[in-house]
Amino acid sequence: MADPNNGGPVRKRGLARLWDIIWSPTSVMSVGFLLIAGFIGGVLFWGGFNWSLELTNTEEFCVSCHTMETNLGEYRETVHYNNHSGVRAICSDCHVPHEWQYKMKAKIMAVKDVYHEIAGTISTPEKYEERRLEMAAAVWKKMKASDSRECRNCHAFEYMDFTMQETRAADNHQLAIDTNMTCIDCHQGIAHDLAPGYMEEYKHVVDTLAGTAPARDGSIDVAQIKTYLGLSAD
Amino acid sequence: MLSVLDLVGTIGGAVLGLPGLVGIAFGMMTRKPLVALVLGAAVGVLAPVLLGGSHSTDVPITTLEMAISVVIGVLAAQVGCVIRRRGATV
Repeated sequence: MADPNNGGPVRKRGLARLWDIIWSPTSVMSVGFLLIAGFIGGVLFWGGFNWSLELTNTEEFCVSCHTMETNLGEYRETVHYNNHSGVRAICSDCHVPHEWQYKMKAKIMAVKDVYHEIAGTISTPEKYEERRLEMAAAVWKKMKASDSRECRNCHAFEYMDFTMQETRAADNHQLAIDTNMTCIDCHQGIAHDLAPGYMEEYKHVVDTLAGTAPARDGSIDVAQIKTYLGLSAD
Repeated sequence: MLSVLDLVGTIGGAVLGLPGLVGIAFGMMTRKPLVALVLGAAVGVLAPVLLGGSHSTDVPITTLEMAISVVIGVLAAQVGCVIRRRGATV
């Protein structure tokens, strides 16, 4: 072994040694071995990653936080939990997109739920009720922006037989098709209770997405200023 | 707060999606950063067109989504190119 004191090569330790090993050309393994090992390693890694991701899509995982008890109780009273057909839509069916990049986005954004669980933002029924409208509005905004993409994983106007629906439902679904409405425009409280003033909040969400929402909380209202100055609001 | 999360989520989705993964793979195919840049940008443009928006509901691809995809594609391709230069003699 070379002695560093006599000018020999210094033997690195720990991460520095690992770094050198990673970037050293292999002399004992063939290209075929590395390709096959890399392929199998990749399959195992990707399978494990996807499996772990699917675990976070289960109802047990979603409701393992204390703060999810309220909305779980509400959801269990709805048709999406219990119905005559035996089909159940769990949390992830409505809140997690199927498309890969949007699913990853939803998972990353869900980190905020862990933060608020730890911070205790909605840890009591009072705190929960205070935030109910805000939380609902955030979900409505996503659903409206995506044309209720997650609803449409199971429901589609094209597959509806209006003759089998109640007259009121059939009429409103036809109206929705004619006026290009989306599911969440009518079904805001489909799985959770609604907060007082939800219609005004939903209108604000729609106006915000359309870019026509008036400003709130004392921030600058450009439309109001333009009207005051006699300019076109557009 | 939600818009910041939205931005972080979009970036994360692109890194773990086609622009990030295929971008690195394309970058590893060349030692020339400029070629890697073009390949990364190409996959960054193609990924949202193929998989972005929502085809089931005709939701269009947003400019932000497209821009982030291209940036991530280019960065990933540059990383791939560095891996090629550092780890291969050909």
